[in-house]
Amino acid sequence: MTLDATPPVVDVRGLVKVFRDFWRRPTVRAVNGVDLTLRSGQVFGLLGPNGSGKSTTIKILLGLLFPTAGTVRVLGNSPRLVHTKRHIGYLPEESHLYRYLTPRETLDFYGRLFALDRATRRLRTDQLLEMTGLTHAADRPVGEFSKGMARRVGLAQALINDPQFLILDEPTAGLDPLGCRQVKDLILALAKRGKTILLTSHLLADVEDVCDRLAILYNGSIRAEGTVQALLKVPDAVTLTVPNLPPEQMRAVLALLRTQIGSEPRVDHPTLDLEQFFLDVIEHAGDSAAAPTGAAPTGRVAAFLSGERT
Amino acid sequence: MRPGHAFFALAKLTAVEALRQPIVLLLFCGCVVLTALTPLLLLHAFGEYGKLARESGLACHFIFGLLVAVQAASSALAREVRTGTAAAVLSKPVGRTTFFLAKFAGVACVVMAFSIGAVLATLLSERVAEKWTITPQLAGNLIDWRTGTWLLVAPVLALAAAGILNYLRRAPFGSAAFLLVLAGLLVVFLVSAAYDRTGVRAEFDFRVDWRILPAGVLITAALLPLSALAASLSTRLATAPTLLLCGLVFVLGLLWEFWFGPAPATPARAWLYSLVPNWQHFWVSDALTGGGTIPWPYVARAVAYAATYTGAVLALGALAFEHTDV
Repeated sequence: MTLDATPPVVDVRGLVKVFRDFWRRPTVRAVNGVDLTLRSGQVFGLLGPNGSGKSTTIKILLGLLFPTAGTVRVLGNSPRLVHTKRHIGYLPEESHLYRYLTPRETLDFYGRLFALDRATRRLRTDQLLEMTGLTHAADRPVGEFSKGMARRVGLAQALINDPQFLILDEPTAGLDPLGCRQVKDLILALAKRGKTILLTSHLLADVEDVCDRLAILYNGSIRAEGTVQALLKVPDAVTLTVPNLPPEQMRAVLALLRTQIGSEPRVDHPTLDLEQFFLDVIEHAGDSAAAPTGAAPTGRVAAFLSGERT
Repeated sequence: MRPGHAFFALAKLTAVEALRQPIVLLLFCGCVVLTALTPLLLLHAFGEYGKLARESGLACHFIFGLLVAVQAASSALAREVRTGTAAAVLSKPVGRTTFFLAKFAGVACVVMAFSIGAVLATLLSERVAEKWTITPQLAGNLIDWRTGTWLLVAPVLALAAAGILNYLRRAPFGSAAFLLVLAGLLVVFLVSAAYDRTGVRAEFDFRVDWRILPAGVLITAALLPLSALAASLSTRLATAPTLLLCGLVFVLGLLWEFWFGPAPATPARAWLYSLVPNWQHFWVSDALTGGGTIPWPYVARAVAYAATYTGAVLALGALAFEHTDV
């Protein structure tokens, strides 16, 4: 079965959302005629500048906002139905946590909302705390946390039900590069298990790394949509990467290229990815460091999320 | 999924979050300390025996209880909608009506815990302002300094113990302090009830004025429709307007009988009369003056009256919340 033949996880047609003031006068048209289809196993990126309607669209998919016009189906049902949400995980743009609860209490609470039994809640809580590097801070109130640490708790709560459809609104906001890499690894691991993921981010490189399809929103309308390869491909140019050649050989290669293409080829040295460089430095520094004060992720995806029997 | 599962998880969370808020602890301690100080500071000035202590305690219970109810309801709903925690919870398999009713249930639990403490403080305060009557001609008032001192010291010790628990075991200070103050009041009540003011062992409920209990139950019952109103208003309004409107309904409810009751003559007046709860039904401390009592059947009828209003206000609040963007 091809990807496009699978039933859509999200099916949105002609979605419009108009916000109104206290007197019911329209103030802003946040979403304007959006059509969107997400299929099972896709990692879909929703991009756009601030105020383009990304978060509004997501909140409508979750049944938190009411559409002014259009139809929305999530997992084949109305997003307002309670049982639809049993299979959805949601990380909001801001982490939105109860500041007087600890991470352990927070995860236990969300586990209860999904009616998970005590043993499962405890197991998943421990695994998620370990995955997000918060085991040592598990009993501190979330209100004391930095934005990045709160983000990790937010991510953990979004995963407590091992969701079939995961919505991540700016998942890497406030995270250090280590956390960003971990989130991307997690997204790829979940996609490998056939989970559907809807992702928004301002960090376009992150989206490029993990998404296989994306849409760009502007002023509430979709301006471009397609696979990442199709959208980013430059059809009339190719990149050749060769080992560092001695000057004589380099001159000969360039001369050959000049005669073949009729113009001057561009030559430069490939550089390391800054994210990879940063992670290498941190890994070496971590060998000699004392106990961390912030998050200390293990880099392992929680066993229940990677499909291991728990 | 069991239908009550999310409800109880949310109600518990609401109660725990409310108890951990410093403002709730502050209001609780404020109520207890003011109730405790009344007989110690004012008794000699007015010579009103236990009546002053009793009525001050009940008034503190009502006013501080109203503030606790509004604060807890507002932070459980208005603030959660504003900060986005409501959205985070409603993105899970939780219905809006379940969410709203569970929030109210959590707030109601906090109000009831507060009320237990307030009633204990009032019972103790009345106990401090002892009236001794040997003959009608030979009567006077004395202060039970022993009980009065413990009534004031118990909250201080409870706060210190909560601080130690927080330091040693990271127990959340707010909720630990609230529960320890409550436990402290209970211990002081149980011990002081068994001794006279000179420290001599007496029968268990020695000079405990149990007549205060139905008065306290009535005030607790009055706080529930106010909590429901605060929760319903909080689905659309912030804390300040919620407090203002609850205060307005409180004042109107005190005047309502004067304007429309007690037996409205026309259907229109009867309808208007039923719009706002008549708080006079719940403030009956005058009945205790001169040795009077409040009959329990009357208390049961008043509680039913409060429950009817609570149910009606909650139904409207749930309806409003069902159509609110979060």
